[in-house]
Amino acid sequence: MTVRCVDWYGNRSLLVVDIALTCCALEVEAAAGRAVRGEVVELAEVTAQDRVAVVVSGTVTDAVLPLVREIIEAVPQAQVVAFGACASSGGPYWDSYVVTKGIGQVCEVAAYVPGCPPPPEALEHAFHEILQG
Amino acid sequence: MTADGTHGKIRLIEENCTSCMICARECPVWCIQIDSHTEVDPTAPAQQTGRGMRPRTRNVLDRFVIDWSLCMYCGICVEECPFDALEWNGAHVAPRPSLDALSFGIDELA
Repeated sequence: MTVRCVDWYGNRSLLVVDIALTCCALEVEAAAGRAVRGEVVELAEVTAQDRVAVVVSGTVTDAVLPLVREIIEAVPQAQVVAFGACASSGGPYWDSYVVTKGIGQVCEVAAYVPGCPPPPEALEHAFHEILQG
Repeated sequence: MTADGTHGKIRLIEENCTSCMICARECPVWCIQIDSHTEVDPTAPAQQTGRGMRPRTRNVLDRFVIDWSLCMYCGICVEECPFDALEWNGAHVAPRPSLDALSFGIDELA
């Protein structure tokens, strides 16, 4: 598995890993299109000083959950952003038997971004709060 | 609606709400929770029935919660409310560090 991070602001203040699962990923892409964005950074080049946000954008099905966990656990200082209703709480699939009811069930979450989908500005908002600690 | 025309958060106008549950039942994701009780309305005249006098009762809203972590911002609740107790209320709800903080009660929805 290869995990790559995007230097979101181009100054290495925040590296972003997007786990693009479903439609919310389009909004993350829209946000990425507006961001400054520097180089793509390989996971091996990430140091302990880097802030890394792992954005889970979309429905986490039980089938894909092990993969999502693997990515999150591969980044030791990952700050997880649950982007959208599905990643936060299961969203429209809250009573589905094949969907994880929010990524918060399996890891610490730094920010829950509400919306179905949330607008791109909401992701910026979450990153801003992560940067402010 | 927000300034650019997208769906934002929703306001509850508490005095208009009759606890009829239509919004909660029409919501595609069941993100609205309502608790209420009935009280005898002392101002309304009692009604003569076959079992004697029957007092008029009305619903009193105890709890109204929108879980923004589930909400799709579709606006069906706003459209369906027969009493105009729900309306659009500006920008999206901001990200929060916990799911509990995304459950808004009557005061936060005002």
